[in-house]
Amino acid sequence: PMVTGTSVLGLKFSGGVILAADTVGSYGSLARFRGISRLLRVNDSTVLGASGDYADFQHLQQLLEQMVIDEELLGDGHSYSPRAIHSWLTRVLYNRRSKINPLWNTVVIGGCQGGESFLGYVDMLGVAYEAPSLATGFGAYLAQPLLRAALEQGRTPSREEARELLERCMRVLYYRDARSFNRYEVATVTEKGVEVEGPLTLEANWDIAHLVRSVL
Amino acid sequence: SAAPLPLCPQTTIMAVEFDGGVVIGADSRTTTGSYVANRVTDKLTPVHDRIFCCRSGSAADTQAVADAVAYQLAFHSVELEEPPRVRTAARLFQQSCYRYREELSAGIIVAGWDPRRGGQVYVVPLGGLLLRQPFAVGGSGSSYIYGFLDATFQPGMSRSQCQEFVARALALAMIRDGSSGGVIRLAAITEEGVERTVLAGSDLP
Repeated sequence: PMVTGTSVLGLKFSGGVILAADTVGSYGSLARFRGISRLLRVNDSTVLGASGDYADFQHLQQLLEQMVIDEELLGDGHSYSPRAIHSWLTRVLYNRRSKINPLWNTVVIGGCQGGESFLGYVDMLGVAYEAPSLATGFGAYLAQPLLRAALEQGRTPSREEARELLERCMRVLYYRDARSFNRYEVATVTEKGVEVEGPLTLEANWDIAHLVRSVL
Repeated sequence: SAAPLPLCPQTTIMAVEFDGGVVIGADSRTTTGSYVANRVTDKLTPVHDRIFCCRSGSAADTQAVADAVAYQLAFHSVELEEPPRVRTAARLFQQSCYRYREELSAGIIVAGWDPRRGGQVYVVPLGGLLLRQPFAVGGSGSSYIYGFLDATFQPGMSRSQCQEFVARALALAMIRDGSSGGVIRLAAITEEGVERTVLAGSDLP
């Protein structure tokens, strides 16, 4: 992997799904490309967020775009469901890993179709599962516990609560993930369709810096 | 020119867009290890009349890919009966660089002018992704000037401002990077054509 993206977060709320990812492509430790989008609107019901190699993500983007076009051409009113995209992606990624030539990505798929929201994960090994909250990369260690805490006792957050929680998680990741950046995008999928906001900027709180002094 | 060590893009290359065209620049040093094999290399390679590529990485790899793209573009241009788009050239580079990413060591900046979108700069780094940027740098020397670039770049610069920007940036990189040096080759690509300049010795900013 050469140019890579860091964490992608996903959270189900009452009425849909939200995904968030920052807009930086890192070249090792260098924040080389600071305005790239790692969230892809597949169709009106599905969004895909990818971490890992950006060139491989662009490759997936091309494949998916062509698939969606081919499907539109059929003109039968049907479009790929989020679950279908997830299933397809699992097959593709697992097949590539089985040829020892993986697409070096961890992908989160979020969607809403027929009133039912979907949130799925696939990684470069072909490991795939669904969950009410997802996070890749550093997010799995730092953000997932925060996301899960909000979902305890079967609670489903409202859209505003989910949005705020994701912003809080992105801030934590900005503090603690050395490969992150303070600009990010958010994609919300509901029955009404896909809404991508961004790039948004995170405000960091450095107040505690004044409380700390170096003492021998 | 001789192929440098693999995975060591020993160069500084740069391209900036302005309204009406692009300014591209590169140093002129090719090294095999620490010996300067060619001190007057031309790393600004035309792939079509108004489309150039700046090459970093393995000289052999980039020359081979650039040759192939130049051929494809020439053919495409004849079929199209009009000048090819810069984006097409960039996409052709990306297709080769992505497909053969494991075998190639090529960091390429594609820049040029076409009648549809004017001046454009695209970057195809190691790994084979494709991205359009207002300006792009590449090569080992680029690491030393990110700070300068971040502090100095303004969108909407004129052609002469761009040329000065590129010259200053390259000069700074060449001082600090042992793998970059020699003269600064600049080219300004516009609708009127390609104007090449060489900044050497005392001309260096």
